[in-house]
Amino acid sequence: MNEGTLNLLVGLAMGLNLLALGSSRLPALIRTVAAQGVVLGVMPLLIEHETLDWRVAAVAMATIAGKGVVIPWLLRRAMRAANIEREIEPFVGYVPSLLLGAGGTIAAVGLARALPLLPEHSGSLLVPGAMASVLTGFLLLIGRVKAISQVCGYLILENGIYLFGLLLIHSTPLLVESGILLDVTVGVFVIGIIVDRIQRAFDSLDTRKLTTLRE
Amino acid sequence: MNSIAAWLLTLAGAAALIALGCAVRSGRGWLISSLSASGFALGSAAVVLTTGDGWTWQAGFHLGTAGIHLRMDAVSALFLALLAVLGGAGALYSREYWNEREHPRSAPAGRLWWSSLLLSMALVLVSSDGLQFLIAWELFALSAWRLIILDSRHAAVRQAGWLYFAASHAGTLCLFGFFASLAARTGSWDLGPLRDQTDFAPLLWLALIGFGLKAGLFPLHIWLPSAHANAPSHISAILSGVAIKMGIYGLVRFTGWLPLPTGLPWVVASLGVVSAVLGVVFALGQHDLKRLLAYHSVENIGIILIGLGFALLAAEQGNVVWGQLALAGGLLHVWNHGLFKALLFLGAGSVLHATGTREMSRLGGLWRTMPWTTALFGLGAAAIAGLPPLNGFVSEFLVYLGLFEATLAHGPSAWAAIPAAVLLGMTGALALACFVKVCGVVFLGAPRSPAAEGAHECGRLMRTAMGILAAACVAIGLLPVVFWPAVARVVEAWQPAWTARQPAPAPLAVLTFVHVVLALLAGAVGAELWRHVHRGRVGRAVTWDCGYAAPTARMQYTASSFAEIITGWFAWILRPVRHEHPVEAVLPVRAMRTEHTPETVLERIIEPAARGVLRVSTAVRRLQHGRVQSYLLYTLIGLAALALLIVMHRAG
Repeated sequence: MNEGTLNLLVGLAMGLNLLALGSSRLPALIRTVAAQGVVLGVMPLLIEHETLDWRVAAVAMATIAGKGVVIPWLLRRAMRAANIEREIEPFVGYVPSLLLGAGGTIAAVGLARALPLLPEHSGSLLVPGAMASVLTGFLLLIGRVKAISQVCGYLILENGIYLFGLLLIHSTPLLVESGILLDVTVGVFVIGIIVDRIQRAFDSLDTRKLTTLRE
Repeated sequence: MNSIAAWLLTLAGAAALIALGCAVRSGRGWLISSLSASGFALGSAAVVLTTGDGWTWQAGFHLGTAGIHLRMDAVSALFLALLAVLGGAGALYSREYWNEREHPRSAPAGRLWWSSLLLSMALVLVSSDGLQFLIAWELFALSAWRLIILDSRHAAVRQAGWLYFAASHAGTLCLFGFFASLAARTGSWDLGPLRDQTDFAPLLWLALIGFGLKAGLFPLHIWLPSAHANAPSHISAILSGVAIKMGIYGLVRFTGWLPLPTGLPWVVASLGVVSAVLGVVFALGQHDLKRLLAYHSVENIGIILIGLGFALLAAEQGNVVWGQLALAGGLLHVWNHGLFKALLFLGAGSVLHATGTREMSRLGGLWRTMPWTTALFGLGAAAIAGLPPLNGFVSEFLVYLGLFEATLAHGPSAWAAIPAAVLLGMTGALALACFVKVCGVVFLGAPRSPAAEGAHECGRLMRTAMGILAAACVAIGLLPVVFWPAVARVVEAWQPAWTARQPAPAPLAVLTFVHVVLALLAGAVGAELWRHVHRGRVGRAVTWDCGYAAPTARMQYTASSFAEIITGWFAWILRPVRHEHPVEAVLPVRAMRTEHTPETVLERIIEPAARGVLRVSTAVRRLQHGRVQSYLLYTLIGLAALALLIVMHRAG
C-alpha cells in the first residue's frame, strides 16, 4: 500500500517540477519549492514498512523543517531585501522550459527502464523522479537570469539527489543525511547574503551582469 | 665503502652551507668558505676516482615516501670534480668581476644564488633517490634562473631568463614523468642499477628529452644562446661548464643503469653529430662574442654525445674496445669542455668588463692593452679548436680512436662510424676557423671603437681564476696518461660488464710524448721570438700600403665578412638575414651591407608553433565568458555525453 502512496507523492513532486518551470512570479516559485520540500520530507516515513525507526523520523522532520520552512523563509527575506517580484526576461522562455521539462521527464522515465535496477526498485517512480528533478533543476539554473530563481533551481536539483538518496536510506548514516541538509541550508543562507550584495553592487539581480567579474 | 671520500664530501657540504650563510653579509667569508668547499669536494672526487670505490649513505628516517639516499661512484665523482674546479675559479673571478662597488644590489644576491646553484648541482650528482633528485634538480634550475637574470634591468636579460625558465620546465616535466613511472614500476623512489628489467627501457626516451633540453643538444638548444650571452660572464662559465653537463650526467647515469631501448644509441649518436656540426656552423654566423661561445657549447655537447652514442652502440652489440674508447673520449671531453669553455667565458667577461660591449665588430686590437686576457683566451681557443698539445685534442683523439676501431670492427656500426669521424673532423676544422675569426677580430688588428681603444687589463683575481683553468687545460693536454685511469674507472662504473681494466691505450702514451715534445718546441720558439722582438730588431710600418697610405680601423675584416664564405655554404640552415645597399656607380655615395643570423630553430619552428597554440587557446578562452548559466549548460552537456557513452558502451 505504501508503494502506491509513495509513487503518488513522487508524481506530485514531478508535477511541482513543471509548475516551477512555468511560474514567472518569484513568490509562486518559492512556494512550489517549499511544497516539494514538504512532499519529499514525508517520503521517508512511507518507505519504512515495519517499526518506525527514530532515525528515519528525524530525517523526515529535519527535511520538512529545512526545506519546507527555513529555506523558503530565507529566500523570501532575500527577495524582499532585493525588492523584486518576477523574472522578466529569462534565457529560456516559460513555454519552451515547460516543453523541455516535460520532454526531460518522459526521457527520465524511459532512461530508468534502461537502467539495471534492483528488482524491488523497478516498480517505483523514485529513480525517474530523481532524474527528472535533476534535469528540472539544471533547466532552471541554465534558463533563468535572476539569482533567486537560480537558487530555486539549485534546490530542485538537490531534491533530485535527495530522491536518489531515499533508495539507500537504510544504509546512509544519519550524520550524512543531516550533513547534506545542513549544507543546503547554509548554502541558501550564504546565497541570500550574496543576493543582497549583488543587489547593492549592481542595483539589480541580473546574473548576466556578473560577467564583468570573470577572471 | 670509502669513508675518506664521504667525510671529505661532508666537510665540503658544511663549508658550502657556511658559504651560503654568509653570502649576503660578508663577501670575503663567502669566498674563503666557497674555496674550501671546492677544495674538499675536489679531494673527495679525487679519492673516488683514484681508488674506484664509491660510497652510499641512507638516512634512517623518511620524509613522506622518500628517504635521503646519497651515493657517490666514479660517474658522480667525474662531474663533481669539474663542479669543484669551476665553482672555485668562478667564485674567485666573481669577487672582482661582479663586485660590490659596481653592482651594490646584485652582488650579494649573486653570491647567495651561486652557492645555492653549486650546492644543488652537487646534490643532484650524489642523489640516489628519485624524489630527492627532482627536488635538487628544480633547486638547481631555479638558482640558475636567478643568476641569469641577475642584471634584470635589461629587457634582453629578462627575456633570456624567461626562455631558460620555460625550457627548463618543459625538461623537468619529462623528468617528472620519467622518475614517477620508474617509481611506479619499481615501487620505490630508490635509484640504482636495473639493467635486467627490460620493460623499463622505453622510459629512457623521456630521459633523453628531459636531460637533452638541459644539455642543449641541437634541436633542444633554443634557450642556451640567449641565456649564456645575457648572464654575467662567471654565470655563463658555470652554466656552460657544469650546468649543461648535468644533462649529460643524467644521460650517462641512466643509460648505465637502465636497459637500452632499441634505436636509442643511433639517435644519441646522430643527435651528437648534428649538434656538433650545426653548433659550430651557427657559431660562425654570430657577431656577439658570448653568443658565439654559447653555440660552441652546443658543438661540444655534440662531441660528447658522439662518444656516448657510440659507447651505447658498443654496449648494445657487446663490443668492448671501441665502446670504451669512445665513452672515455666523451667523458674526458666533459672535463675538457668545462675547463676551456669556462676559461673562454671568463676571458670574454674580461673583455666585456674592459670595453662594455660583446659586439665583436666594435672590438679589435685588444692584445696591446690586455696581454694576459689575450694570452689566456688564445690558449682556450686553441684548446677548443682541438689543437695539440692541449686537452681538447686529447679527448677528441680518444673519440676518433673509438670511431676508427669501430670502423675496423666491421658491421653496421662501421658504416655509422665513418661519416661520424668525417663530420667530427669537419667540426674541428670549422671550430678552428671560428676561433681564428674571434681571436683575429677581437684581439688583433686595430681598435674599431673608442671603447676598444680605452680597454684595460683585468685585475689579479680574474687573472688567477683564468690561470687556474688554463693550467688545468695544459695539464690534461700534456699528461693524458695520468688522467686515463680516472676516466677508465668511470667507464667501468658505467658498464660493469666491461670489467677488464684497460691500461692506457698505446696511442695515448705516444700522444703524451708527442705533446710534451710539441710543448717544449713551442716554448723554445716562443722564447726565441720574444727575445727577437724585445731586442728591437722589429720595426713597425704600414702593411701593404699599395699607394693608399691612410688605412682606417673600419677597413678591417669584420666578424661577418670573415665568416661569409663558410656561412654561405650553410645558408640553407642558417637562413641569414641580409640588408644591402649595393655599390651602384663608380663613385658611390653610400653603400652598406649587414648580415644577421637569426635563432633559426626558435624563430622558424618554436615561435610559429607557440603562436598556433596561443591562437587555439584564445579561441577556447571564448568559452569562459563569465555567464554562470552557460557554464551549467556545459556541465549538463558533459553529463549527458557521459551517460550516452555509458549507454552505448552497454549496448555495444
